[in-house]
Amino acid sequence: MEADENPPFSEGQYQLLFERNPLPMWVYDPATLRFLTVNKAAIRHYGYSRKEFLGMTIKDIRPAEDVPALLADVQANQSTPTVTSVWRHRKKDGTLIDVEITSHEFQFGEHKTKLVLAKDITEQLRAEAQVCQLNEDLEGRVSERTAELTAVNKELEAFSYSVSHDLRAPLRAIIGYSQLVLEDYAARLDTEGQRLLGVIAAEALRMSQLIDDLLTFSGIGRQRVQMTDVDMTALALSAFQSLISTHLPKAPQLNIKTLPPARGDSAMLRQVFVNLLDNAIKFSRVRKDATIEIGGSCARDQNVYYVKDNGVGFDEKYVTKLFGVFQRLHAEEEFAGTGVGLALVQRIILRHGGKVWAESKLGQGATFYFALPVRKES
Amino acid sequence: MSVPNAVEILLVEDNPHDAELTLRALRKRRLANSVLHVRDGEEAIHWLFAMGAYADRDTDHKPKLVLLDLKLPKIDGLEVLRQLRTHEETKLIPVVMLTSSREEQDVVESYRFGVNSYIVKPVNFDNFSEAVALAGHYWLLVNQEPK
Repeated sequence: MEADENPPFSEGQYQLLFERNPLPMWVYDPATLRFLTVNKAAIRHYGYSRKEFLGMTIKDIRPAEDVPALLADVQANQSTPTVTSVWRHRKKDGTLIDVEITSHEFQFGEHKTKLVLAKDITEQLRAEAQVCQLNEDLEGRVSERTAELTAVNKELEAFSYSVSHDLRAPLRAIIGYSQLVLEDYAARLDTEGQRLLGVIAAEALRMSQLIDDLLTFSGIGRQRVQMTDVDMTALALSAFQSLISTHLPKAPQLNIKTLPPARGDSAMLRQVFVNLLDNAIKFSRVRKDATIEIGGSCARDQNVYYVKDNGVGFDEKYVTKLFGVFQRLHAEEEFAGTGVGLALVQRIILRHGGKVWAESKLGQGATFYFALPVRKES
Repeated sequence: MSVPNAVEILLVEDNPHDAELTLRALRKRRLANSVLHVRDGEEAIHWLFAMGAYADRDTDHKPKLVLLDLKLPKIDGLEVLRQLRTHEETKLIPVVMLTSSREEQDVVESYRFGVNSYIVKPVNFDNFSEAVALAGHYWLLVNQEPK
């Protein structure tokens, strides 16, 4: 006997296999369609007694409208050894069930018959349909939300467009007309009158700066992040140079280390350095030995960069306020600014999937850090 | 405002205060004598193409400069520019956008339609005067136009 062959069953054992099989099984005569034998599971599942079964044909457990298809199928598959297909069956109590039918050619005594195995898959199909429905619902909801978001985005765009157009015009008038009064009526205004007009113009100018900063801030949120390989050392250096050439009589000492390269939007990352360095320069200006250090390091899944100054620093109590829009930790007369710079830094870094944080002690300088995730090239 | 005999600058501006500040800046440089100020895009089109109230205008005379606001009642600045550039007889008239908008899309669109220059109106009056005066001076006195 070959090793991969099962030892032969006796006829009694086969009988047992059939009778005790947990799935409904029967044998029918393809010529008359009559049931020749059924097992216990079939009796239990369909609700007919053995006697009732043996008085029926396989047409009788189907809804009438499916019978023509059944007859065609029996005809077509007469000589096919094994067939699996899905049918609808009707139980004795009238319940319709979906069944997966596997039928084999089977020698039953003298007859060439079919042995049928019926697996009730009603529940399975119902669950599948439900999953399909849930998926459809989910997709529907996602596209609904996307449409809502797109609409909100459009609205926001229209809003900032109108801000950039309409809010500036009155400010220009306030500043311009104050200036006209100063020019045309200078002789009739004393110094206090001139000072008051000056304040009006200066405040209008500051409001215009606030609008600009706010627009930049909201613009960063709408802008697409264009990922490229960025030489962070060169970027930091060029940002520093642009700042000292524009508004500094005396440049602070710069100590720049080699920074790990990054993957990100080069214009946005430049803005990060400009804002951090602008702060560092501004808050260390009071010191004669003002020094700014730029450095960075590689960790496993992120690169960390920092900008460090030896300026006035800030009280760490207020560190949570630091990155909020329009939040300032110093009086306007002390250090100018709208309070948008660090908010912008945070927004840009968050859009890159990174994070920002800061350390300081009052009077002992501040260090601002940002981390960018290291993306593996695919 | 009366129409000057030979209009050299067409100022298209709906905001009366911006218009006053612009005219004042031009006056300081003695460039304001031949300015026509119109208040919307439709009036600009009517004057430029001698239609409506300006039907009798001699179209052989062309302005040396159109100072054009973007956001205008009835017909906006981009449409005025587009029409100017599509007609052979107005194609070469220098147009300078003078607008509050620094939105990138506005700048790009204006250049795509063939604007000669795009100036964002500074909020600061001194800078504003300077920008207007520079533009007026350049296009009226420095620039050489085709004969």
